[in-house]
Amino acid sequence: MESDVLLEMQGITKTFPGVKALDSASLRVSRGEIHGLVGENGAGKSTIIKVLAGVYQRDSGSVRINGKQPEPLTPASVHDAGVRFIHQELHLVPHFTVAESVFMGQELAGAFGLKRRLMRERAETFLKEALQANIPGNALIRDLGVAERKLVQIARALVDGKASLVVFDEPTAPLDSGESEQVFTAIRQLKSRGISMIYVSHYLAEITALCDSVTVFRNGSTVSVLEQVEANSTDTIIQAMVGRDIDALYPEKSHAVGGAFFSVGGLTDGQRLQPLDLTINRGEIMGVAGLIGSGREEFIDTLYGVRAAHAGSISLAGNVVNIRSPSEAVAAGIVLVPRDRRHDGLVLDMAVSDNINLATLEAVSVAGLEHRRKATERADDIAATLDIRPRNVNAVARYFSGGNQQKVVLARWLITQSRLFILDEPTVGVDIGAKVEIYQLVENLVAEGASVLVSSSDPGELLGLCDRIAVMYRGALVDVLEHDELSMDNLISMTTAGIPRAAEA
Amino acid sequence: MSDSESVKARMIGPHGLLVRYGFVILIAAFFVFFSLYTSSFLNSENLMNIVEGSAILLILALAMTLIVTMGGIDLSVGIALDFGAAFAIVAMKDYGVAWYFAVLIALVGGSLIGLLNAFLVVKLSVSPFMATLGTFFIGSSVQRIFTNGGGPISFRRVDQSYRDLAVGDVYGIPSEVIIAAVVLLLYFIVLERSIIGKRMHAIGLQQSAAAIAGIKVKHYLFFGFIVASATCAIGGVIGSANLRMFTPLAGYSYLLDAIAAVFIGAAIHPLGRPNVPGTLIGVLFLGMVANGLNLMGLDFNTKDALSGIILVLTLALAVMQKRLR
Repeated sequence: MESDVLLEMQGITKTFPGVKALDSASLRVSRGEIHGLVGENGAGKSTIIKVLAGVYQRDSGSVRINGKQPEPLTPASVHDAGVRFIHQELHLVPHFTVAESVFMGQELAGAFGLKRRLMRERAETFLKEALQANIPGNALIRDLGVAERKLVQIARALVDGKASLVVFDEPTAPLDSGESEQVFTAIRQLKSRGISMIYVSHYLAEITALCDSVTVFRNGSTVSVLEQVEANSTDTIIQAMVGRDIDALYPEKSHAVGGAFFSVGGLTDGQRLQPLDLTINRGEIMGVAGLIGSGREEFIDTLYGVRAAHAGSISLAGNVVNIRSPSEAVAAGIVLVPRDRRHDGLVLDMAVSDNINLATLEAVSVAGLEHRRKATERADDIAATLDIRPRNVNAVARYFSGGNQQKVVLARWLITQSRLFILDEPTVGVDIGAKVEIYQLVENLVAEGASVLVSSSDPGELLGLCDRIAVMYRGALVDVLEHDELSMDNLISMTTAGIPRAAEA
Repeated sequence: MSDSESVKARMIGPHGLLVRYGFVILIAAFFVFFSLYTSSFLNSENLMNIVEGSAILLILALAMTLIVTMGGIDLSVGIALDFGAAFAIVAMKDYGVAWYFAVLIALVGGSLIGLLNAFLVVKLSVSPFMATLGTFFIGSSVQRIFTNGGGPISFRRVDQSYRDLAVGDVYGIPSEVIIAAVVLLLYFIVLERSIIGKRMHAIGLQQSAAAIAGIKVKHYLFFGFIVASATCAIGGVIGSANLRMFTPLAGYSYLLDAIAAVFIGAAIHPLGRPNVPGTLIGVLFLGMVANGLNLMGLDFNTKDALSGIILVLTLALAVMQKRLR
């Protein structure tokens, strides 16, 4: 009766307005194995996980858990089927104890109220036996390390003992290597107790070390399944992950790169970001690569004055500039297209024209009063140039598509005379057509002598667009790939393993 | 397509109409009701009374509009009013300062309250609600200590020019109405027409995005709190000129009405935003209701309850409107 296959997802298709996130994708997990799930950003990993979790309803396809087909697939029915999810974010309350956190929402209570001692004992026992961790049940979450918090989160999902399949989403992203090892130990211990796991990660080294088999996603489909994973499977996986026609997507790199223009020396936030040096030339597109938790975001934020710099200097065209806030960055000619467009990029409830003019309101004002016709005309001009649709700059930005919203943010900075454009994840949530247009805009910018810094989690984008790529790994800049060293293999091995290219050559 | 059609259908139906124009209907209903049931409501003299009686509340509500526009709230508007009144009266009574200097000193006194708020919110990152609540308690206590428990400081021989700020008139228009109108106009220009106002709206709608766009968020918040409190001090000048005294904690009675007026104003805005014309309507509406109840001989104590009911009703209407959109 018991078959070998615990989870069978077949022909899963999921379409969002304008995007086919999953196109007949499949995922199959055998009993007792750790199954890796890899793919570039936007490949559909999180979408299929959310379909499994019952968060998204699939358009078509079938899901079988333990031979049964839970219909409808809802968070509750999936939970009942024994599937648990360990999300990337911890969602723990800092001033709760370990025992309270483990039993939050599933408290043990008797006739006389909560059974605090029993909960504490069970939490401690579970942590020790199932996860090999000695954490006191009465310790406060805020006093624990990140890895220990992760274990508490895992314990919370599994303590009822009914789990048969656990899905880990990037569990080691916020951890350093020592802490990661703690989590791996726990995962191996769970495996020895017969629990199956799906392990989603960008770190291919972890995948090969931990997983028994791997499914590779690309563009919403399953492109490869490795039944046996060995230490040297990395190359095979990378090949499966990439392998698409990138020539049509990116403009020809025809711009001429000038001399040094912008440089940072010893820049650090005093926390995650290790002191970092980087020079960008005039008319150059510099890329920043790195996985989640590599310090890429901290670097951009510190550079732009969003995070306070602890030490280090920034100079532009030979002059030292002091950047303690975004407004000082803008004044110096450094502008940012932020990764979180909907929170940081746009004032969603303001008109597109307001969003475009927001950084340069003086130019559309007379004696401090807004000149509305001028403002609308100016916004309309740039909207026409960038082909922002719908072409109604008086409409509220919230209702524009991702690609058009991103063009609005770009438009705001294009009408300034800025000299360094920082683009953080410029094409996340942007459809392919707008992507190509944004890449062309970047190419035009550098052709006119501006410098561009592109931070991206999409290696294809970095390779297609950039002249050089700085690689970050666990908070430090590992190396800068020069023009003739740009290759997918170099990039992936450096971002996933943190090896400077000298060591691997 | 079918979605937007069904929304339209709901908007046009009787229920949709009621929600959409609910507030207008509410104002009209009160107006008709008071006109019918009291003999003295609907005449120009009484209507002028409403306007005149609303002057100080309007000034405070405008200050509140400024802060709410930037995404905060100011619970210390009444305290700033008190400080304005106290500084002016004490300056004239104890130091013989000329009346026009006293007005300046009142603005300084009010600004101190704003400075404290600004310091707490901008430098110490306390939320505006908590910061201004703290200022409210501190300011109240300071007044009680200064007046030995809350007795008023009266100055009967105040300069007639100062007194005229409240009781004088220009071509028959009461000077407090003129002062309030000037403040109203300035606030309208700054908040609704200037690029400073545009930035303030951006800060209130999405602070992080405003910061990324290079707007000096902290500067605007800092000076916003100071300007708001200085504005409230103008209300204190009018109040103290009217009574020729400083009455400790007098500003407290305006706090809830000022908040209510701003949120009523936001509720009737098509996009649900705090705005200067809306605040004016909110203030006049609350003034009309208070006046009408007074004329009907209703207990003064029921006024707050009614203000509360109106506020809650309006906000509920605003939420229903948002759902229809």
